[in-house]
Amino acid sequence: MSAEQSPVSAFDVVGDVAVRIEDVVDREALDEMCRSIHSLFGIGVRVYASDGAMLANVGSQLDVCGLVNEIAQGRAACGATVSAAKSVDPGAAGDVVHQCFTGLAYRIVSLDYETRHVGRIVLGPFAPAGLREAPPSLVKTVPKLDVLQANERLAQVARVKPEALGRIARHLKTTLELIIFSSHKAYVTSKLHLYSVRESYRALEEKTARLEQALARLKELDRLKSNFLGTVSHELRTPLTSIIGYSEMLAEGIAGPLSGEQAEFVKTIHGKGEQLLALIMGLLDLSKLDSGTMSLRQAPMQIGPTLDEVISTVAPVALKKQVELVLDCDRAPCELAADAERLRQVFVNLVDNAVKFTPKGGKVTVRARITDAAAEGEDDAGAVLLAPVRRVVEVTVADTGIGIPTAERTKVFDAFYQVDSSSTREYGGTGLGLSIVKRIVEAHGGAVTICGNEPCGTVFVVTLPSARARRTLPSRVPPAERA
Amino acid sequence: MQLNFAAREVAIKLVYYGPALSGKTTNLKALHELVQENSRGRLMTLETKDDRTLFFDMLPLVFKADGDGGGMSLRVKVFTVPGQVVHASTRRLVLQGADGIVFVADSQLAETENNAESFLELRANLKELGRSLAQVPMVIQFNKRDLPRVRTDGELDDLARRGREPVYKACAMNGQGVLECFFGLLDRSWKHLDAEHDLSTKLGLGPAAFLDLAAASLGHPGKAKALSAACVGGGVP
Repeated sequence: MSAEQSPVSAFDVVGDVAVRIEDVVDREALDEMCRSIHSLFGIGVRVYASDGAMLANVGSQLDVCGLVNEIAQGRAACGATVSAAKSVDPGAAGDVVHQCFTGLAYRIVSLDYETRHVGRIVLGPFAPAGLREAPPSLVKTVPKLDVLQANERLAQVARVKPEALGRIARHLKTTLELIIFSSHKAYVTSKLHLYSVRESYRALEEKTARLEQALARLKELDRLKSNFLGTVSHELRTPLTSIIGYSEMLAEGIAGPLSGEQAEFVKTIHGKGEQLLALIMGLLDLSKLDSGTMSLRQAPMQIGPTLDEVISTVAPVALKKQVELVLDCDRAPCELAADAERLRQVFVNLVDNAVKFTPKGGKVTVRARITDAAAEGEDDAGAVLLAPVRRVVEVTVADTGIGIPTAERTKVFDAFYQVDSSSTREYGGTGLGLSIVKRIVEAHGGAVTICGNEPCGTVFVVTLPSARARRTLPSRVPPAERA
Repeated sequence: MQLNFAAREVAIKLVYYGPALSGKTTNLKALHELVQENSRGRLMTLETKDDRTLFFDMLPLVFKADGDGGGMSLRVKVFTVPGQVVHASTRRLVLQGADGIVFVADSQLAETENNAESFLELRANLKELGRSLAQVPMVIQFNKRDLPRVRTDGELDDLARRGREPVYKACAMNGQGVLECFFGLLDRSWKHLDAEHDLSTKLGLGPAAFLDLAAASLGHPGKAKALSAACVGGGVP
């Protein structure tokens, strides 16, 4: 797709292009209108375009014309008169009378649009009001003609007063010019509409191309970032393992006994080393989840045993902090297809967090329920059919801690985010935990949300679709195509 | 500009640009009222139900001139663009081939930003069309002078003197300043075209003569110069 295309040209509607009657007026409709004029006034009507092309021709042959046309000379002269009528200059006033050699006449009216001459109306032949008998030109042009008979037929033609004819001509001119204007307006509107759509489309295409480029660049940057994180974490871990290992050996007295203070220092080195290792492992997990290289060992499992394990892991911390830790688990079987180790990581993280942010004497409740998932979309169509396969395990971790303001609830899942940077100092942590939790849960087709706990505290809600739900409703499975 | 020697026609295109509801269509309607009937065509307005311009308005003005090489017809097509933001692509289309631009600004203080935004868009659109404001003559009209809470005359004069474009004050609703602004642009556009295409030689019609002729044909004989000069700034002391 080329990003630079020139704007659509609309010259034919926004420039100064002469309008052609034949482009804007429907021929049949024009013919119909001329017929109605003819039936009303009995005068023939012809409409010509500016280049002389005939657009409408309505009228019946007068008897006198029939008589003239029977003779070859008359026929030729008649043809010449008619063709002159379509080219004679209508003059500055745009309205002239063109005489026929028979004494009859044509009224020629110019059709103008935007003060450009676009065509003409030819009315006639008609007998002018003062015509009594055939003029000398008739005998001169067609010597073989029976003059008496011609006069007789001329007398039958109704006389038309110039004013009356003028009114008819003006009426027809005004009507036709109005039709041309309206049709041109409609033509311009539709054309410009089309051009506008094309122009908008062009502009959008350009914008899309620019956005696609930006997206590709960002994706590449994202990939580089993940690679960098992965590499750095890995490289950091190697020397750290030695630091932890050797400090552990020192602490165990393998290299000789340590004084009390020395033992204290070594213990600190070891503890901080472990802390650093946890951080690095978190970063590694994050980059693996981001790049989609973390493989989940998904196997059939139940949530209960995993939660038991989680509680027993966190219980000592809770006990130490004097925070009550309660597990309320629905033991009804509901098979998950999940990586038990990763889920354990998720819940340890959440429960550990909850304990951490709950003050002494508070309570952390872990509750597991098996429920039907909320209907997808707005309606509940087919709930009867879908509910049985839409079973989900919902685990909530509720604490009575400081809580998370509503506005912050989606941000806490961003890597390195903490509601208040001072909380990092007060409660510790890197801000990585929740971003990892979210990614792991989503990798299992689940979701994690936050709501408030009454009167204070936070509830994390993790929903995990059952193995069956993931099989039958593939739309609930996360897009695993993070490249 | 379109120069058709065979048909002895010169067509120039003037465009009224500006933010939504600044009075572009009102200008054109007023202009239509203010010019002689036999020199103007029908005013074509493409409006929606609520009187908002959908695509554009167009008023054709035509007058005859007798140059050295014989009679010719001078056609001035005056367009407005649709002001609403959504019609950006239509504005760009209407702007194609413009020989001069009136920027109709709304004098109300509250509209200052809209004026500026619309002007920046005009500049961007010209650029997209491969042109720039340096190549297209422009005059600025501050419309709605009769409303309360508008930029004062003193402020406008001061601003106008700092700018490059002549500024006309108008109240298009009752026709004030409309002709002035139109002739101001017509004058500048023709001079610009003359300088570019040497119309004086080709048509035997100099800029001053052209403007006089235009004014006379449109029903305002002898007033062209005064009308065109009724502005602030733009090199006018």
